[in-house]
Amino acid sequence: MTFWAYLRFRMLMWGLRTAGRFLRVVILAAVLIAAAPVTLVTAVGFAGAWLRGWPPARLWRAAAWALPMTGVYLAGRALHAGTWRAFVLAPVRDWEAAWHQANAGHLLTAFALCAPVAVPAGLAVAGGLWAWRIYAIETGLSGRTATAPVVFDARQWYRQARTARARITAPGTFPLTSRDGRIIMGSTIRAVGHRWHPVTSVPYAAMGRHQVVIGSSGSGKTNLMMRSWAGWYSAALRAHHQHGKPRPLLIVLDCKGGPDSRVKAERTRRLLHGVGASRVAIWPDEANVSLWSLPPADLAVTLFQLIESGTGPAAYYADVTQAVITLAVTAPPGPPTGAAAFLDRLDPGWLEAAYAGDRSRLAAVSAARRHLADVSLRYRTLLSRLGPGLDGPGVLADADAWYFVLEGTREQTVAEAQAMALTELVAHAATARDTEPRAILLACDDYSAVSGRVPLWQLYERGRSLGVGVQVSAQSWQGLGRDDDERYRIAATADGGIWLLRTPYPQPVCELAGTRRIIETATKMVGNMWGDEGSSRVQHAWNVDPDIARSLQAGQAGYIHGGSCTWVQIARPRPSPLPIAPPPPPPSMIIPPARPGAHAQPAPAGPAALDDAFTQETRP
Amino acid sequence: MTDPPDPFTALGLTPGPDLTDEQVRAAWRAIATATHPDRADGGNPSRYATASAAFQVLRTPWGRSEAYADLTARNLINFRHRVLPPPAPAARVTISPWRALLLVPARIRHGRPGRLALRILAAAVLTLLVLRSGAPTPPVAGLLAGIATWLILTSRGDLAPPPGR
Repeated sequence: MTFWAYLRFRMLMWGLRTAGRFLRVVILAAVLIAAAPVTLVTAVGFAGAWLRGWPPARLWRAAAWALPMTGVYLAGRALHAGTWRAFVLAPVRDWEAAWHQANAGHLLTAFALCAPVAVPAGLAVAGGLWAWRIYAIETGLSGRTATAPVVFDARQWYRQARTARARITAPGTFPLTSRDGRIIMGSTIRAVGHRWHPVTSVPYAAMGRHQVVIGSSGSGKTNLMMRSWAGWYSAALRAHHQHGKPRPLLIVLDCKGGPDSRVKAERTRRLLHGVGASRVAIWPDEANVSLWSLPPADLAVTLFQLIESGTGPAAYYADVTQAVITLAVTAPPGPPTGAAAFLDRLDPGWLEAAYAGDRSRLAAVSAARRHLADVSLRYRTLLSRLGPGLDGPGVLADADAWYFVLEGTREQTVAEAQAMALTELVAHAATARDTEPRAILLACDDYSAVSGRVPLWQLYERGRSLGVGVQVSAQSWQGLGRDDDERYRIAATADGGIWLLRTPYPQPVCELAGTRRIIETATKMVGNMWGDEGSSRVQHAWNVDPDIARSLQAGQAGYIHGGSCTWVQIARPRPSPLPIAPPPPPPSMIIPPARPGAHAQPAPAGPAALDDAFTQETRP
Repeated sequence: MTDPPDPFTALGLTPGPDLTDEQVRAAWRAIATATHPDRADGGNPSRYATASAAFQVLRTPWGRSEAYADLTARNLINFRHRVLPPPAPAARVTISPWRALLLVPARIRHGRPGRLALRILAAAVLTLLVLRSGAPTPPVAGLLAGIATWLILTSRGDLAPPPGR
């Protein structure tokens, strides 16, 4: 083959290729013009999705919602058409008529003739094209520069976030709960792995399990948690009214304290009143609970655990303390009904009178006699520091929701002991058989501030075993526990999901959420230009991008569940401004009355009264 | 019967378990110097007696701890009278379909009535255009159904949430 022959062959090939490309463009243009109404709707839909950061699913949903229009149109045509053939060809005839109308300058009529078919078809095509565009950019098949995927993603995130922010201003779109009882959290920014839905909601059951919330100060954690509390309460109350499920009881431990906590408590109360909670108690400012309502055995253990007891030689004194506490609490007259009554019992005279006739117990009292003053002093100091909030007369069942303010920042050790006592009360409320069963959600805000005595994982696993939903929040990954074992134990078992807000160190949570497979295309550089050769391979990308988590704005959060993530713009919780209807007249009996049992509280008895009792008992 | 003054107040000290021996002694000395009966002006015997008794109680760490606990216990008794806040009116969160219908005006009023009005206006204009387009009945009926679907779907966001939600 000569050089000229080769050159002719190359020119012929170039000519054929160019002609082929030209023909393709001409055919495409002809199709676009022929289907001008569909083209128009597709262009508008595509541009809308690009500008507003919609996913393709949004366009397909719009196409689906346009189908009633097509249905009515086809039904009308079916009524008018005499034969099947006429019915099938009706859209073609209308399209033909539309062209005639357009040629005559009647654009409105032309559009009206085509729209019932063109709108859903155009939106569906736009969705397909938009999905292809995203795929092409993400895999490196498209884009003019090497940075195109990064720039495209950043720009789309910005638009998605802007759209989500605008959407949450619609009050009717974001009530606290949906009609089917799901808890609505906010507007979806982006779904990775999860099915996309414009409104992000979590099932009521997810709140009954365990959730973790991680976010630094000012990231919108409070709004998120309040919204979830109010939503849970509303959903649980509806389940109670409609399906006879247990009445809800929300318990919030605000472990930071201070004036901010009071403001939050008031806001929570207003929210809960709006969704049907009739009694919301704020502790210790307005209401108190009684630690002494615990069963005697539990009370003795709790009182003992409230005191710091060391190891080594101190273990001896710990045993003595436990023995004294058990003697005082489980004395024959019944458990103490208050701090003062308990302290009165830490007296040799009282104990000897109480156990008169019981030789073995009297021997124990004698053995502990010389330590009683020390034990009494320790408890006097402890109970005075704990304050009156745990000294009754309330019990958890008295209210629909409790907001406990623990001064974890100001008085950490006191708050730790209070948290411990309160978790015991919650455990008792969850397991008590002689009271009305309640659906309990224990929400601990910044629990790390008071987790010295009851580690978070312990609270968590205890809640799991008791059937209590537990929601814990921390300002950072490190706040979840003392070491990584504890932190992973908490985060990995959060089967109700993890809410990740802005935090400087999100990597461990991102690792827990796992990765997804993506196609990564490497393109060869030719000089300073991007060449047309390269290779593609399967790679793994984070389901939860740590960079996004680090740069989230206030109110943005990621809901991680089932190895997938939905990024959400949390809507500010607002109850419906409309008043709730008064309740129907109650039936004759809703809750069986508590039977007097082992835990019934006898009247407080002082040593004098005991003397009388024992005198009568021992009187011949 | 009124409670006797607590020893901390008698010595002019802020109640607390963390006071030191020196602080208590200094407070006692100051009062004793000012109120002793041997003073030329006769002093203040009753005040001196009260302060002396208080000093006897508070002179040791043990005594201070006991006195502080007693003081707290006294406050405890006062606190016991505090009860839960009065309940808000009990509520029923489920509403009948009829009541839901009756609530629509209120939901509009408390929602975004301006936006809803604009939306309805847009739907009305579109309807008018479709009716005046001169197209045959089937496409017109289809378009009207489409406009109605759009209005129903989008206007829900402009209403306030129903009660209890």
